[in-house]
Amino acid sequence: MLLKAANVSKAFGGFFAVSDASLEVGEGEIVGLIGPNGAGKSTFFNCLAGDFKPTSGRVFFDGHDVTEAAAETHARLGIGRTFQLPAIFEELTVLENVMVGAFLRHPREDDARAAARRVLALTGLERISDQPARSLGTPGRKRLGIARVLATEPRLILLDEALAGLTPTEIHQAIELVRAIHRTGITLVIVEHIMEVILTLAERIVVFNQGRVIAHGRPQEIVNDPAVIAAYLGRSHARRADKP
Amino acid sequence: MARKPIIGWLALAAVLLGFPLVFNGEYYEQLAAFVILSAISASAWNLVGGYAGQVSVGHAVYFGAGAYMPLLFYKLWAASPLLGFPAGIAVSVVIAVVIGVPTFRLSGHYFSMATIAVAELIRIVVSDWDFLGGAIGLMGPATPRGWWDLIWRSSLPYYYIFLAVLGLLLYITHRMERTRLGYYLRAIRANDRAARSLGVPVSRYKLYALMLSAAFTSLAGSLYAAKFGFVDPGSALGILVSVQMVVMAALGGAGRLLGPLLGAVILVPLQTTTNSFFGGQGTGLAFILYGGIIMLLSRYAPGGLIEVWERFQARRDAGTARRSAERNGDARAA
Amino acid sequence: MILLQVIVGGLLIGAVYALFSSGLTLIWGMMNVINFAHGEFVMLGMYAAFWAYTLAGIGPAGFVPIAALLLFILGVLVYMGLIRHVMRGPMLAQILSTFGLLLLLRYSAFWVFSANFVTLPDGLVGPSIDIGGIFVTASKLLAGGVAILLTAGMHLLLTRTAIGSQILAVAEDRQAAMLMGIKPDRMQALAWGLAGASAGIAGALIATFFPISPTVGESLAIIAFVTVTLGGFGSVPGAMLAGLLIGLIESLSAFYLGPVYQDVVVYALFVVILWVRPHGLLGKA
Repeated sequence: MLLKAANVSKAFGGFFAVSDASLEVGEGEIVGLIGPNGAGKSTFFNCLAGDFKPTSGRVFFDGHDVTEAAAETHARLGIGRTFQLPAIFEELTVLENVMVGAFLRHPREDDARAAARRVLALTGLERISDQPARSLGTPGRKRLGIARVLATEPRLILLDEALAGLTPTEIHQAIELVRAIHRTGITLVIVEHIMEVILTLAERIVVFNQGRVIAHGRPQEIVNDPAVIAAYLGRSHARRADKP
Repeated sequence: MARKPIIGWLALAAVLLGFPLVFNGEYYEQLAAFVILSAISASAWNLVGGYAGQVSVGHAVYFGAGAYMPLLFYKLWAASPLLGFPAGIAVSVVIAVVIGVPTFRLSGHYFSMATIAVAELIRIVVSDWDFLGGAIGLMGPATPRGWWDLIWRSSLPYYYIFLAVLGLLLYITHRMERTRLGYYLRAIRANDRAARSLGVPVSRYKLYALMLSAAFTSLAGSLYAAKFGFVDPGSALGILVSVQMVVMAALGGAGRLLGPLLGAVILVPLQTTTNSFFGGQGTGLAFILYGGIIMLLSRYAPGGLIEVWERFQARRDAGTARRSAERNGDARAA
Repeated sequence: MILLQVIVGGLLIGAVYALFSSGLTLIWGMMNVINFAHGEFVMLGMYAAFWAYTLAGIGPAGFVPIAALLLFILGVLVYMGLIRHVMRGPMLAQILSTFGLLLLLRYSAFWVFSANFVTLPDGLVGPSIDIGGIFVTASKLLAGGVAILLTAGMHLLLTRTAIGSQILAVAEDRQAAMLMGIKPDRMQALAWGLAGASAGIAGALIATFFPISPTVGESLAIIAFVTVTLGGFGSVPGAMLAGLLIGLIESLSAFYLGPVYQDVVVYALFVVILWVRPHGLLGKA
């Protein structure tokens, strides 16, 4: 069990964004997190990544208790994450952005640069390595965000809406990249809105609604689960789905 | 980062080293010494304010610690002021830790607010403390007992000493840019949340930058005390000192190696001229000017004059590229 | 008895601190911008009161609203001309913008008004009042009373009125507010206007019992920073509570340690708060 979240809750003031959510991810898996807007997926995600400290519950990674650990520690232990709005370093070049990630494992500049170049080749960004990052459009930024986290040589990556805002062609390319990353042995936990994407990519899916986990299982099971349908479309649709 | 050709560096070095030979006379030497001294403080501020993006508006406190210690050592033990230099650095680093440790784990505003509060706190305490000379301040040796008192009639030796220290500081900064520290600081300035997610120990690195900055600012203060032989709370701990560092670095280009020097070269002569022009009122006018400059910079060119120059270059290059493409297109068509 | 007087005096001035700090914390919570020139806004309110009285004989009943209006306008202008543009940029630009404004305002005041202290006449508001053995100057009583009412009023404005909830909505989630048809720009300008007005009123009230000079903003700004930090990011009730506490602590420090050290204690307290409880009393996470 590489990543394990046990009964995680996160409250802001009196409002519980996440209640009693649990998740287990084995090494090498691809797990999807879905749910309607405001369901608490992002908050839960941030608890896993170390950006938020859970109000209660615990998070374990590779045997370590990382519940209270800072985000930097998460990264050092091997949890990487991307951001929904790609938080790239605008003033730096594409190469320099990735080098910042590479420095985690390679303290010397030459080594970090070499490692960064390798990652840029893997992610198809080597042609624009000297361009300022701010000149990139959305697909470039998303790709750069992924390249940057790859440079930290993570064992698990939390992908936060990596495909939002992309055209169908770009989505196709992004899916290929995600699959390539998975093939190198990296475990993936993916939050995604686009149903077709997550149903094809993920082996297992966890469904959130109103801060709670309401369903989990294989994609085919989830799609037919009345609770899931109700969450997305409302109760009447679920009842109609039940009728023959 | 484009690499500057070595010729540019040699030219700069030649200008700086040769300046007093061309413009000789006490007036120019004194002015030049003051420019370089200001450049040292501003470049030191630049480490934490420019590179790391943590805006200290109370940096005078380190300058003041550096300025007071040598003269205090002289007052207490008739020692050479030189011995007070390390003490000033030690005190400054401690203050840096007291301010930085609690505030660097919070958002940037807390740090900036804390720098104002601590600078004021220390200024008030020092002004009221007879041990440190109270409002009157401290004086150094009137006549030199040896070279170690660092007292010379002419400004020339001071100019070259200051230049050496500036050279050292800029060299260290330049080397830092190419290390993990340098990359991490720029990442922190660009987006510290993203930096954290990549394993950057953000608070710790901000603190390193602040400690290094404090140490060099203190050194500048000590050099100031050596040259002028006199410090008081107004000249060493006042808000003018803090403001000057910020405005010079920001005007030239915060986060750039030569930004602070550029800012000092422009503003120090300007301030000296307005002071002599307007007399006592000159200082007030300088502040109004600085305030206006800072506001305009923040609105239109946070990267300072260097950024303005680069933007201008980029537009010119784009224009040239476009024109040459058109010409090539015409040649092919012909 | 003397101690009780010191306490009451401290609470009254603390109420004024609460007033101008609540404006600062409103902006901070809403846009994540700290107005480093806030002390200068209070200073300008003081001068507005002085000049209204000196030039036109207007008393507190008149010059307090005048100061409010002038500083409201200044707040809006600063937002529209400067803050709006630097808000979403690098932190350096944000902090430089209001810090530059601080310098411009303070030293322009030096230029225009000169460095000399001026004061409004003693007893302008009324004579000292004896409340059960405690002497309170009428001006401080008025200041404290008005300040408490207005701070509470600001809180009610934000939480109980339509326009207040619009302001809070923008503070909470800009995008969502836009989707609901609220114009964030307008609400933010309004918030700056309110912050300016609260500083202006506070200044006008303080002017009735405190010497006025261009440097007054320096210590008042730091008091505002301590108050908003102690009160908690973005919390107006927090600023109210913290303001009263800071006023009290300052007053007691002046009593036991002398006037020089009253500021030092508050500034040192700031450092302690940052080490021990930076999120303050009522701050959001």
